Amino acid sequence: MTIRLSLRKRSRKLIANSKGFSSVIGTTFMVLVMMFLSTSVFLWTLSQNTLYNEALRARNQEEADRRNENVVALSGNYSVSGEDVTVKVVLKNAGSVASQIINLWVLDTDPSNRRYANKSLNLNLNPGVVLDLVTSSWLTVTIPGANANHTFTSWFVTARGNTIPLEKEQGVIVAQLAQGIGSLALDFYKFRYFEYESATKLKNYPNGNVGFTVPANQYIAFGCSLTNLDPGKQAIVFDPHSLLWVIVPTSDVPHSTWWYIVNVVQDGTINATYSPISLAYGETKMIIFASANDLGLSSFSRQTTPKAGLPAPVFLLLHGNIGGIAYGQNLPFVSLYFA
Amino acid sequence: MDLRKVWKLLCGRRAVSVVVSNVILTGAVIAVSFTVLLWAQYRSSAYNKQFSEAMDADIAKLKERLAFEYAFYNQSGSKLSVYLMNCGTIDNMTIQTVYVSNSTSVKVFSSINLTNFNGVEIADQDLDRGEEGCFVLSSLSLQAGTYTLRIITGRGSTFDHTFVA
Repeated sequence: MTIRLSLRKRSRKLIANSKGFSSVIGTTFMVLVMMFLSTSVFLWTLSQNTLYNEALRARNQEEADRRNENVVALSGNYSVSGEDVTVKVVLKNAGSVASQIINLWVLDTDPSNRRYANKSLNLNLNPGVVLDLVTSSWLTVTIPGANANHTFTSWFVTARGNTIPLEKEQGVIVAQLAQGIGSLALDFYKFRYFEYESATKLKNYPNGNVGFTVPANQYIAFGCSLTNLDPGKQAIVFDPHSLLWVIVPTSDVPHSTWWYIVNVVQDGTINATYSPISLAYGETKMIIFASANDLGLSSFSRQTTPKAGLPAPVFLLLHGNIGGIAYGQNLPFVSLYFA
Repeated sequence: MDLRKVWKLLCGRRAVSVVVSNVILTGAVIAVSFTVLLWAQYRSSAYNKQFSEAMDADIAKLKERLAFEYAFYNQSGSKLSVYLMNCGTIDNMTIQTVYVSNSTSVKVFSSINLTNFNGVEIADQDLDRGEEGCFVLSSLSLQAGTYTLRIITGRGSTFDHTFVA
């Protein structure tokens, strides 16, 4: 018998033999069962992991939003009337996400009366929004035993769970005011002059030319940065008689030149008439002095600077009212050189 | 195949026992296989359920977040008032245990009564999303100093806060 014949015979015997058939079926079933189960368990586990990852991602996003929330409470102050404590504050959303303020807490820190109170709020602040509650009495809480001599601490709570401490406003530093007198302060470093682009339009407004050497014999206007630091926290209004006065001392008889206050629109155009400029407490504005005439009495006309080679002191003669009461202040100390 | 042959096959006795045994064996194998399939599926579904519960619990824990608005210790009354807000994204946040500790001592409180800020008891004793609540720990004698307040929620999350007594 050849080898080939023997192999064929064995093959036929193997195929024809029914022994072990059930084992084949059993094994096939087992393999199918295992594959089915493992696949379904794997896919299901995958879906569960996806759910967890989704929850984790949401949590991380909330955490990022919470960290990006940046609301600041500025110019904080307290006004106490009886046991009612009013929080005066400017809220500014300096962050990149919208914020909701839900609670205000005020604590009387006086050792004799360590009590606190809270007020529910619903303030929504979009990014960049500034909410001025300095003049409002809305943020008032009642603390039993509180009085005006006590000191207070307060903070706001946002819906994301952040707390915003109230940054108490610094008291007015007397040195900020001219020799401790008066309620207006001049920022020397922002003193500037303007040349004219046309008869009624300032060149390069509002930047102008910052400096103390001014072109001589030219039509010039001046800009002064003034801040209201009134200890009484009242608004100051300038009337048209306010002016910038330059005295030329280097001759036997002093000569004067003056520039009256004017209103200037955004593009640098000077208004023909004057409407009173108001400066709220703590506010800083660039006030422009340009007119040779008092606009309350006459029409606008440009003013020229003195001849070259002269140093000269400058006085700001400010006139108007403070909190509705007549007010006047002379701000000295700037000196110029006309070249 | 004609009828005679069919009749012969049906009436023939030879090898009957082999066919029957094979049918029985195959049937038994299939039955056992299905039993194994059902048992394995039962076991895997039990595992799925267990895993699913654990995963849901983890996700719920992940969504919990508690903000401490204020913790005030009243020295004369030996009371600590804690003001909270649920700023997470899941409702029904309960408080299981509170620990007050410093470097030398730990005090544990497990019976916490939640009230609103106005003192009215919260009916369901839990904090839903955005809800504020407060609890008071009485008979808590603390020396002046800094303490850590640890709150364990019903879902097992931990939140810490530091206050000055």
